[in-house]
Amino acid sequence: MASIARSSLLRQVATKPALQNSIIARAAFHTTAKRDLLPPLPQRVVGTVNDAAPVPPPSPSHGSYHWTFDRLVAASLIPLTVAPFAAGSLNPTMDAVLCATLLIHSHTGFQNIIVDYVPQYRTPRARKAAIWGLNAATVVVGLALYEYETSDVGITETIKRLWKA
Amino acid sequence: MAALRSTASALLGAAAARPSLRMAAAAPSAFRGMAQLADAAQQNNTASEQANLKTFQIYRWNPDQPSEKPKMQSYTLDLNKTGPMVLDALIRIKNEIDPTLTFRRSCREGICGSCAMNINGTNTLACLCRIPNEDKADMKIYPLPHTYVVKDLVPDLTQFYKQYKSIKPYLQRDTPAPDGREYRQTKADRKKLDGLYECILCACCSTSCPSYWWNSEEYLGPAILLQSYRWLVDSRDEKTLQRQDALNNSMSLYRCHTILNCTRTCPKGLNPGQAIQSIKKQMAF
Amino acid sequence: MIAQRTGTTALRRVAANPNAVFTSTFAKAAMSQMQTRQATTQKISATEARSILDAQRLNRPVSPHLDIYDKQQTFFGGSIWQRFTGSGLSGGLYVFGAAYLAAPLLGWHLESASLVSAFGALPFAVKSGVKFLVAWPFAFHAFNGVRHLALDLGMFMKRQQIVKGGWYIWGASLVSGLYLAFFL
Repeated sequence: MASIARSSLLRQVATKPALQNSIIARAAFHTTAKRDLLPPLPQRVVGTVNDAAPVPPPSPSHGSYHWTFDRLVAASLIPLTVAPFAAGSLNPTMDAVLCATLLIHSHTGFQNIIVDYVPQYRTPRARKAAIWGLNAATVVVGLALYEYETSDVGITETIKRLWKA
Repeated sequence: MAALRSTASALLGAAAARPSLRMAAAAPSAFRGMAQLADAAQQNNTASEQANLKTFQIYRWNPDQPSEKPKMQSYTLDLNKTGPMVLDALIRIKNEIDPTLTFRRSCREGICGSCAMNINGTNTLACLCRIPNEDKADMKIYPLPHTYVVKDLVPDLTQFYKQYKSIKPYLQRDTPAPDGREYRQTKADRKKLDGLYECILCACCSTSCPSYWWNSEEYLGPAILLQSYRWLVDSRDEKTLQRQDALNNSMSLYRCHTILNCTRTCPKGLNPGQAIQSIKKQMAF
Repeated sequence: MIAQRTGTTALRRVAANPNAVFTSTFAKAAMSQMQTRQATTQKISATEARSILDAQRLNRPVSPHLDIYDKQQTFFGGSIWQRFTGSGLSGGLYVFGAAYLAAPLLGWHLESASLVSAFGALPFAVKSGVKFLVAWPFAFHAFNGVRHLALDLGMFMKRQQIVKGGWYIWGASLVSGLYLAFFL
């Protein structure tokens, strides 16, 4: 992400060197220059003060359904995590369910991070790359977990053994 | 104002027949408004041997010199001669030390929301924020965080107001009142608006929210969402579903991650975090 | 304030009545000086005004935020650490998953048996340290996750509860992280 953001910045600098340089240099002072991946752009206001900010079209699958689903997954992780350790016994099905839920939870968590820090309106290509990169990574890890669950001892048992090692 | 006052005093000085008035002006309590003296002069004054000095570091940036970096400028005041609130100190600095210092203020009693700024790390209204008397540390005053600065402590809130407009902050209704009189609601329904209608849109909460810092283009922020909830929960409003639809996307509402800086900072003691949580709950089930 | 008002009322009285204490010419001169406007104004169209404003906007700095905001709320708030710990744990899972899938190609041994034997060979301090580095984020994420679910149901939303809740999470997660790492 860093490299993408930086290259787009460089491109902007190349087109309008003097103005952009001075703006970046100035923006750099007030914000935290060295740590800024995406320093705030110079202020541009679309329309007048009397024009309302645009309202996006409703899409519950990214909104309320997504949020509710996220909470349900998070809540279901509590019993799934506690159960094998509390019961002391291991059920491969439960372990597989735990793995799948963990994967979904991680995926939506990373998604939230991308949506927060790689803004669509500003870096659409970086956003697309990040989302698809995440999708690919989740598929890979899903495969790996499937392999691990079927051919090895499973996540819970591994952690148990490592802890006792 | 300042020009007028100096003219008046020049006039009185020219008359040169008022030694008693001049004596009175030197006495600190009676003629505070007349205290034109710089604070350095006051420190030398033997009358104020117990001066309670406090330094204010204030963010300065002048749009007329745009290439100059913003800087922190220090002003030292004697708290014995200053009102109790940070706004009193700011006004005194502007009146007596540096007339170029720029900030917004109007009501000086926490009802207009003009003097919202970041004081010692937290957003609040300068008029409601006491100057801590006991600790000697400098007070640091910045404009509202992550806003575009118009000048000194004045932020540009255009986007904030545009977003406010986008939630249609007014009663929307198609059916007339059954008895042809005003739209009435039960006491219980009215009670739901308590803690919401008091919001003065000072933008303290929105500019305390890291989510709003990074995504103010699309995320509405706590203040606007609290206002939105104020209309969602109003029993007289008939466009609840449309209002919910307008929030039902990944950015407008759901960039709230329950960080709760908003509730911690609200100078009116309201709870924007809870309002947002209520919207989410309303829309989830 | 009072003194100033005395001054202006006196001035007004003098201006109205030329036979007052002061000489009328002097007072009138003072009044006219007060009302002189030094700046000349010039009418411009709305579009011109807008273009001036737009040009000004491009110069505006962004006020400082992370650097100056109350560190306790931004850096030690539960929320950002929920994200740090979560992405640490999930990142670990993702890295391990990818490595496990690639292991046969690269000749690594990431089966549970070899992992356990390799980990068991480490000295106690290193083992416990590594365990703590996993156990503390896990405990923090779990406790704070439960807290966040409660917040989403509208519990513990009062200002004092928010402040205290944050510190309780730090305390509880550190204690249980240490317990899990050293005593289990």
